[in-house]
Amino acid sequence: MNDPANLNEKERTDLVAYLDGELDGEAARELERKLHLHPAARAEADALRRTWELLDFLPRPQPSTSFTHRTVERLSPVRAREDRRVRRWRSLGLGLSWAAGLLVSGWAGYAGYNWLVPRQPGERELIHDLRIIENKRLYERMEDLDFWRALEAPDLFGDESSNT
Amino acid sequence: MSATGETSTQLALRDPDIRLMLRVRDDDAAAFAQLVELYQHRLVAVMHHLVGHADEAEDLAQEVFLRVYRARKKYRPRSKFSTWLFTIANNLALNALRSRQRKPVVSLPAQDSGPLGPRPAEQMVPDRRSGPMQRLQKQELAALVRQALEGLNERQRMAVVLNKFEDMNYAEIAEVMGLTTKAVKSLLSRARMNLRSALSSYIYMDGESIPEDEEEN
Repeated sequence: MNDPANLNEKERTDLVAYLDGELDGEAARELERKLHLHPAARAEADALRRTWELLDFLPRPQPSTSFTHRTVERLSPVRAREDRRVRRWRSLGLGLSWAAGLLVSGWAGYAGYNWLVPRQPGERELIHDLRIIENKRLYERMEDLDFWRALEAPDLFGDESSNT
Repeated sequence: MSATGETSTQLALRDPDIRLMLRVRDDDAAAFAQLVELYQHRLVAVMHHLVGHADEAEDLAQEVFLRVYRARKKYRPRSKFSTWLFTIANNLALNALRSRQRKPVVSLPAQDSGPLGPRPAEQMVPDRRSGPMQRLQKQELAALVRQALEGLNERQRMAVVLNKFEDMNYAEIAEVMGLTTKAVKSLLSRARMNLRSALSSYIYMDGESIPEDEEEN
């Protein structure tokens, strides 16, 4: 069984958070009770605190005096690259605008021509209307479609078959 | 909206560095120089603690500022400016440390220090009972602490550096490193335990009594 005086894994994690001021509520009170009761736990907390303080011995490195100047200088190629990219996009946009303009004007020209100049029937339309064209001479004698339909009525000329 | 529910305008009003960054976004060259001036010390220090070399730290810090500049048009204030800056720094530093691991630097064995003689750390006998502070100069102790810090994995090191030197709380570290607060708690705990075992011989200085329970550990 674990010695209650020793800290387990979770308590060690909580202890570090406690030392960092990141543990609160019941977990913090529980840990404080343990620290109060067990010198071993207190010693561990003390060792961790001291270890943390040893980091203060690390020098605080300073940047060189020309750091800002050198950094700002390094912007020139970045800006040049950005300018090139902007120019490339602009010229691409201009090219696309021209292409779109040409397409629109081409379409407008075609539509205008069709509107102004009536279209001649094509071969397909001629084949489709071939019977009408062939009988054009007869159709021209008719006044309207009603007359044409009336011709088809069976009682107009009587039932010839019944007379014979 | 930010993680805390604040709007960009509210954040900008509270954080002067956000206002400065918004000027950088609007191509104000003077604002960028001011930003570099303002953050260079903190950034170079953090990078130095992480990579351990002054020149490399400066190069990395410069690269962070260049990335800030390149990303300026996409900048939307969502949290403190420093959190955003250190997020970029974190990504860059971790990449640098990982690529260094892929191309490991051959280090000389302890007994082979070259023509300059043994390094201060090599001369040390890790015996706390013989009064290490008497023999150790501040610089030598710094070298040991540096070594202990380098012994941590890169994520532990980053968490320690942000916590210790940037005074960031667990929530801020979590945001910078893209972790949960719980993960940061566990990361820092393991880091502190590792540091403690690496530096256990130097925790108690001259004239200080070692707690009995600590001696047993």
